Amino acid sequence: MNHVKLPIGPQHPALKEPENFAITLDGERVVDVDIRIGYIHRGIEKLMESRTYIQNLYLVERICGICSYAHVWNFTQNVEEILGLQIPKRAEFIRTLFLELERLHSHFLWLGVAGHEIGFDTLFMYTWEDREVVQDLLEMISGNRVNYAMNTIGGVRRDVGEEHRKKVLQGMDYLEKRAQYYKEVAINEKTILARAENVGILKPKDALRLTAVGPTARASGIKVDIRKNDPYSVYPETPFEMITTDTNDVLGRVVVRVLEIFESIKIIRYLMEHLPEGEIKIKVPRKIPEGEAITHCEAPRGEDFHYLRSNGTERPERYKVRTPTLANLLSVSEMLKGTYLADVPIVVAAIDPCMGCMDRVLLIKEGTDKPGELVDGEQLRRYGIKWYAERGWNA
Amino acid sequence: MTTNEELITQVLQGLPVQIKRPGRVFVTIPREDLIKTMNILSSELNVRHLSTITARDTNKDFELLYHFFLNGVVITIRTICPKNDPTIESIVPIFPSANLYEREIHDILGIVPQGHPDLRRLVLPDDWVGGYPLRKDWKQPTEKEAEE
Repeated sequence: MNHVKLPIGPQHPALKEPENFAITLDGERVVDVDIRIGYIHRGIEKLMESRTYIQNLYLVERICGICSYAHVWNFTQNVEEILGLQIPKRAEFIRTLFLELERLHSHFLWLGVAGHEIGFDTLFMYTWEDREVVQDLLEMISGNRVNYAMNTIGGVRRDVGEEHRKKVLQGMDYLEKRAQYYKEVAINEKTILARAENVGILKPKDALRLTAVGPTARASGIKVDIRKNDPYSVYPETPFEMITTDTNDVLGRVVVRVLEIFESIKIIRYLMEHLPEGEIKIKVPRKIPEGEAITHCEAPRGEDFHYLRSNGTERPERYKVRTPTLANLLSVSEMLKGTYLADVPIVVAAIDPCMGCMDRVLLIKEGTDKPGELVDGEQLRRYGIKWYAERGWNA
Repeated sequence: MTTNEELITQVLQGLPVQIKRPGRVFVTIPREDLIKTMNILSSELNVRHLSTITARDTNKDFELLYHFFLNGVVITIRTICPKNDPTIESIVPIFPSANLYEREIHDILGIVPQGHPDLRRLVLPDDWVGGYPLRKDWKQPTEKEAEE
């Protein structure tokens, strides 16, 4: 058999988790995938053991540049559980607002990336412009666009004023209109259909077996959404639906995310209309008693899992983080098997990992150690678009 | 009405089950019973969702926590593995999603999951020789040591 091994990745400066996919090809078909991660393992879990809880707030936030808030939310929740603390209701509402604003900007960002990967750059330009609306709201309330530094142990650091509340609601009206448009595009636009339908199949039994999480699992019809399965914060009283599809393909993952934008808008409206009065934080001791706590929440990409073991001092004994991308890695290799090389960029992008993985590709002919042709991610993307154009799939 | 926590306790009859709070169940088992317990979880409770595996150095020995999620309850199986014999049965045959998590604890703590299909490094560099960083007696090498 004349198989070709194709390593994709690992390095790109803009990535949070660079990965290396060693893809074995039979002609155009992917037959096997091997994943290697850890290229920017920063030792955060170890580092946390030598820092105080307050210092760790800001360290945890830097685990990820997109879903930074999900991590810091989990961390504060863990510490508060060990302290046996009930934070003020208003703080809970503001925290949930941030969780949902984060999901909004992440889903808009992803939609743009998906568009870019299939050569639909107009969609990329549109969604990223709309994402700025969310970013502006985040900056208006917290002062920051990425690492918001909103949470502290015992509450939040900044309040949402009346002015902010109005602006958030206005922003939601605008985004809802835009999302309506994206919904039509995602379901009817033939460019997307041609590239996403029946591509990157993940069967429900595989999604379960490999514990896929988030939109990736929900697009395979698995009813897993921590907001519904293990409701936390103000989600139990907030009206929203869990979105699932049963198409098991990339298109399903597009549809799930687009429809989730509507649910997030619904949640944010509820939060802003029912924001209770009161304090936003309470005072807490610096030393955390001995104990352990587990918190998981639904980050934009899926279940984000944190475990804290404290030892009665100002520093944690052990802190463990499991990010959703790690949980979805096994599923990606399952999805890639049997697809065309031209579909690799969109299938990998569909779990919403780090898009820049595609940026350095080296072709090596099997059996020799000599590198073949050097291809970068941009060339692979263009190759995918051209490959489909030659077969008459162009829009 | 029985809650999910009580249902789980019933199925895991005879095991020391501790309900820490609603939604958080801890079960402590000896290392030898790991596979038996995993089989009960998989076949009798029909658990599929393995969130992750946490391993920690308690100075005395290693503590392993297998976190599962079922019907709104995080079930954590706790077991101890001595330092002079840091091995544990691999649960990959029962829960394939444990693959990467077992590679991770092997990589950073040096706990060997026996029977794991592929024990390459996961997070540390392939040429790493600095020991197991998450062990408590691990010291960050000085710059001079690192150069050597």
